[in-house]
Amino acid sequence: MKSQDDLERIACAEEQWKHDVLEPRVKRFQLEKSPTRFYTPTAARDFDFLEKVGFPGQYPFTAGNNPFDFWRAYAEAGAKMGVRPEYGGSGAAGRYSGYGTAEDYRDYLLRMQSLGSRGGPNVAFDLVTQCGYDSDSPFAAGEVGRVGVAVDSFRDFQVIYEAFTGDRDIDRVPSNFTINAPAAVIIAMYAALAEKRGIAPAQLRGTPQNDILKEFIARGTYIYPPRPSMRLFRDTLVFCRKHLPKLNVTSIGGYHIREAGATRVQDLAFSFANGVAYLQAGVDAGLDIDDFAPMFTFNAFGGSMEIYHEIAFQRAARRMWARILRERFGAKDARSMMIRQPITAHIGCTSTTLQRPLNNLARAVVGGIASGMCGGLPAVYPPFDEPLGLGHSLESIQLQMDATRILIFEAKVADVVDPWAGSYFMESLTDETEAAAQAELDKIEAMGGAVAAIENGYMPRAVAKSAYERQRRIENQEDFMVGVNCFMGDNELEVSAQRMVDELYDAAHMATAEERQLAKLAQLRRERNGKAVADGLAALEAHAKDEAVNLMPDLIECVKSGATLQEICDVLRGVFGEAEPVKL
Amino acid sequence: MNSERKIRVLVAKPGLDGHDRGARVVAYGLRDAGFEVIYTGLRQTPEQIATAAVQEDVDVIGLSVLSGAHLALTRKVIEQLRQQGAADIPILVGGLIPESDKPALKEMGVAGVFTAGTPISSIAAFIRSHVASM
Repeated sequence: MKSQDDLERIACAEEQWKHDVLEPRVKRFQLEKSPTRFYTPTAARDFDFLEKVGFPGQYPFTAGNNPFDFWRAYAEAGAKMGVRPEYGGSGAAGRYSGYGTAEDYRDYLLRMQSLGSRGGPNVAFDLVTQCGYDSDSPFAAGEVGRVGVAVDSFRDFQVIYEAFTGDRDIDRVPSNFTINAPAAVIIAMYAALAEKRGIAPAQLRGTPQNDILKEFIARGTYIYPPRPSMRLFRDTLVFCRKHLPKLNVTSIGGYHIREAGATRVQDLAFSFANGVAYLQAGVDAGLDIDDFAPMFTFNAFGGSMEIYHEIAFQRAARRMWARILRERFGAKDARSMMIRQPITAHIGCTSTTLQRPLNNLARAVVGGIASGMCGGLPAVYPPFDEPLGLGHSLESIQLQMDATRILIFEAKVADVVDPWAGSYFMESLTDETEAAAQAELDKIEAMGGAVAAIENGYMPRAVAKSAYERQRRIENQEDFMVGVNCFMGDNELEVSAQRMVDELYDAAHMATAEERQLAKLAQLRRERNGKAVADGLAALEAHAKDEAVNLMPDLIECVKSGATLQEICDVLRGVFGEAEPVKL
Repeated sequence: MNSERKIRVLVAKPGLDGHDRGARVVAYGLRDAGFEVIYTGLRQTPEQIATAAVQEDVDVIGLSVLSGAHLALTRKVIEQLRQQGAADIPILVGGLIPESDKPALKEMGVAGVFTAGTPISSIAAFIRSHVASM
């Protein structure tokens, strides 16, 4: 902290500089105000280094969760050995993937393993599964196996895991499941698989997304209304702590909220409001905060091209979450206070453009620099062909990986932790971001918290309005996107991308997935023991009506009996009702 | 057509895709541009969309799909409109539509395909010229 005298001298000098240098220049170029800013110590007058930043790996974690992360410890050794880390993966799970039937996806995973993939599955489910329907539902037509793999039953789930045996068995590799409304059912399948393979459930590692509240704000794969959805969250939380203690309970996302249009501040405030609701659910269920908060993860926050703001955002997020955990929830364990997320800053997929798509590589590198400068792997994300269709090409993934490697090994972006610590500019921007997000979070808490702010439509509508405001700014050239709303003249070359390597997913399999899946489902319905299915579903229904009962044991019995995902979800729809889509 | 009456647009999300940023932005934008906009909300079946279009007496339907199911879903909406005697309502499709699928959509009878980066003003202009020429 500078002394008061020093600050006054600097403030005086700053005024003089404005008068002598800045203002004449603004006048000379006939501007109304300067297009740039210069920061001095007066921008961070009350800045207290130990209180606001501290040291990496210590409260309030502004400078990072660790002095260096696991990947950094062995980066050079890995480069010499040519180890191919799965930077796009989440923890030790592999790259997010999934398509077609379980058989198609299993074969894809085996192919990726032959190409060097070492992690567990990071499963994308198709929308039919994510919305709790079976492939033969009228809602499913045209969607089976499209954006992910179709899982109608425990049988499908087991087929996927045929790719994971021996030294890749489920006590060796973790799994990620991008699933929310039916998360409890998928966790039940995972537990049932362990039982079938004779593996103790306590050995299972992995991360279900299990972040249902953001589905009402963005992404939209909800089934039940928010309150019964929170009961299912509680059931998964309590059950996992007791029986699957190594499973991360949730992967909270601000990413989807920002991608749906939220501002940076809304992203932070809304995802934390959701996180607070999940934490409170654990506390209300009688769990000790330090028993379960360390098992919460974040999948990512949103990103943008505004590199300085995104660095400040990540610093503010870490500090704010640590304070919430310590001050509001009384956490004592540092692991409860940390935001664990696979990537930090990034540009967000909505920053990529369909126009002149190779430009997206330049854009993603900016995000990689930002993440390297705010306590994360300098991950270049997404691959440049993100806006061209579903799924990325192998060569775009190679370019993305090499770009990350270039930032690590050639640019040495990750050799300093929190290089912006103490910058007058960055500290004031971090403070501003945190204060604005805290004000928005307070507003939601005053409404009664995240569930109330979903029920009254506040959060989903605020996101849609922000999305429209962004569109308006682009159309009015208040915000610029190169090749989209500027620099599109006749002299610009449309540099296009040649995809020279095959797409990862087999298009022929994708085209026939629905038909094959329907045949498998019909076979399951013929072969299973109908009475066992009916008995399991009846027990589930009875217990669903009693808020106090944890439904996980019933769900495990149901999946083992051969009940389908939709049959299970339909029973719960009958008891819980269905969520209404939000209007304009 | 009657110039007193605002052009009525149904913005619809067929299928299970929950990515409604585009649909909502287009709905807000067209509303601000002077259109009467009805937004269906998520997860509408082709039948629900056709019924809403007929009941609301809309001049044009905008479908937004980002899940890769655009061909199947658009075909079904068109079938439903035909069954309900409303095959003359022009359909626009937006979302994540690969370049290679555009001819197939046009062949089905889709009036226009609008992908990422399209200004709402050009969608509005397209609708105005299309509806006026009917």
